[in-house]
Amino acid sequence: MMLLSLLLIPLIATGLIAVARQRVLIELLHVGSALVTLGVAAAIAVEIWHSSVLIAAGDLFRVDALSALMVAIITSLGAITSVYAVGYIRAELSDAHLRRVRLFFALFQLFIFTMVVAVTTDNLGVMWIAVEGTTLATVFLVNLRHTRTSLEAAYKYLILSSVGIALAFIGTALIYYAGAGKAGEIAVNWSTLRAGAGSLNGDVVRLAFIFILVGYGTKAGLVPMHTWLPDAHSEAPAPISALMSGVLLNVGLYAMMRFKAIVDAALGPAFAANLLIGVGLLSLLIAAAFLIAQRNYKRMLAYSSVEHIGIVCLGLGFGGYWGVFGAVFHVVNHALAKSLLFIVSGNILLKYHSAEIRDVRGLMRASPWTGALFLAGVLALIGLPPFAPFISEFIIFRSGLESYPWAAAMGVILLVVVFGGMLASVNSMLYGEPPADIENGGGLRLWLAPLAVNFALLLALGLTLPASFEGAIKQVVQIVGV
Amino acid sequence: MSAELLSRLVTLLSFAALGLTILLIVRTRLEGQVRVFGLQSLVLALLSVLIALYTGRLELFGVGLALLVIKGIIIPRVLHRAVTKIGIVRVAAPYLGTAPALVICALLTIVAFYVMTPIATTNPLPTADAMPLAFAGVLTGFFIMVNRRRAVTQILGFLMLENGIFLLALLTTYGVPFVVEMGVFLDVLVAVLIMEVFVCHIKDNFDSIDVGELGTLKE
Repeated sequence: MMLLSLLLIPLIATGLIAVARQRVLIELLHVGSALVTLGVAAAIAVEIWHSSVLIAAGDLFRVDALSALMVAIITSLGAITSVYAVGYIRAELSDAHLRRVRLFFALFQLFIFTMVVAVTTDNLGVMWIAVEGTTLATVFLVNLRHTRTSLEAAYKYLILSSVGIALAFIGTALIYYAGAGKAGEIAVNWSTLRAGAGSLNGDVVRLAFIFILVGYGTKAGLVPMHTWLPDAHSEAPAPISALMSGVLLNVGLYAMMRFKAIVDAALGPAFAANLLIGVGLLSLLIAAAFLIAQRNYKRMLAYSSVEHIGIVCLGLGFGGYWGVFGAVFHVVNHALAKSLLFIVSGNILLKYHSAEIRDVRGLMRASPWTGALFLAGVLALIGLPPFAPFISEFIIFRSGLESYPWAAAMGVILLVVVFGGMLASVNSMLYGEPPADIENGGGLRLWLAPLAVNFALLLALGLTLPASFEGAIKQVVQIVGV
Repeated sequence: MSAELLSRLVTLLSFAALGLTILLIVRTRLEGQVRVFGLQSLVLALLSVLIALYTGRLELFGVGLALLVIKGIIIPRVLHRAVTKIGIVRVAAPYLGTAPALVICALLTIVAFYVMTPIATTNPLPTADAMPLAFAGVLTGFFIMVNRRRAVTQILGFLMLENGIFLLALLTTYGVPFVVEMGVFLDVLVAVLIMEVFVCHIKDNFDSIDVGELGTLKE
């Protein structure tokens, strides 16, 4: 029941927003839905903590610790972003554009709905449908500004993601074929596949995982299918960029983790590990190359997402308890830091009316709150202590040095390159003399208040690892498999 | 119907489906290309019905019918409407001409046989022989998307890739479960409707449907 209400609330909100007439009503429905969804998700997380699995609607939906973690990320960042989205859209679209305002908030809720379905369903076909649904729900959001560049970004995003996800369908069908004989006539579920994985046909599973890696890797933003990501993430309105980068990429990763668990059980850990380390390093390399002299700060954040998803893949590939632990921990940290930064970047864009790094000067003086949060977010993102990403990256590369020393060493070198590149760009934005036509303070300062949650968590998880949090991650690690 | 007869008919129809994908490369007029896609969907619907008759699986009749309605009738109509709305626009030549493109198709077919034959030979179903043909269709559809610069042809390439994947799943396991298949059709339909909107936006903004002109976003 609780699980079904988690799915129904954003769906009902989508419908209500689509027919609502007043802007205030739309905004209330939107924020209300996001907060109630978060509440239900919290209740589910507590339930999972005690009883480990929740099932609803026959065997269609099944939430274990991994699903619960994803639901927690989706709904908590969804709630934080939804509050900021109200302020941002007020600044961006006046009441004259009520139709577009309605479209924005309706699709926002639909986006949340598709992501929640993707991570809570037990059926890999339904998950595929939901992941394709996330693309369809967000494509108009990317093109919300109706400019030539946003149109181009949205078209590329739609075509590339659709092709990627189509390839993932081949992988899904092959896994279905591999499992159909074992699982009987029922639709193939994660739980039954995982249980019977040892007896699957190895050749089929091997080919399937390659398609899965390319296909869901497209959604996760892995090289070489990442080319849509910098365009879409930089053209989308800030709250949507925050969700696409901080949350949606994780849905792609989630699918890969589920399949990895099956592939490991069928073939042993080395096959998936080598592939994951390969794409992880490649993603890190390409991201580092584009981060060295990046001219656009939203694209900088987007490439940094490619980098961090690469790091998570490295963690999964390095394997062992600590490698996977670090990877799961890093998913949380990246989601927190990246959503914070994209939201703050919305404020910068509204103030300076430019996404070019060279146009932004003296941010610290022009708006100290935005500047300070941006600095804190970037320091967290490039892996400086005392923030949590430092800990998770340390755990990942520490375990990598034992299992794959060369790959880990290359990864660390690339991290240093990223570190230098991003710090130089951000430095030039924060300091110096602000342009004369920029007024000080103001902007959407108050709407940033929910980001205190991101900041506090990044700091707290960087300083201590609470036993309950560690226990939760441990449960997730057991599902992903070491 | 004996297993051998089914196997032969299925291989024949799969071959026809691949032939239609390759025909898309030769055709240059958009209306003709849309018709080729509609015809291919018809062939696939026929294949589903054939397998439904052989196996007695009722849901495959439903899949065939849905395929016929959505991919054989609705989507071609939507695309035809888009083509008419766009009117006559500057013709954008493909990156590779017809002759080299056909050579690439031949190479892709060889690759498809190389990748799929090991899996097809271990598959006990009578339909499995045609799996490499279906995969060749997937690869060719992908190639059309990359090679063609007109947005409508790109969408057709995507749809043929989708058809190839549907065929591959059908041949490998008699299709994925009914609910999933319907969800996939729905997703494809919505995707095409959105793509149509975008094609018209692109036409309005760039006065062309040459996706090669979408090159503003660079480093």
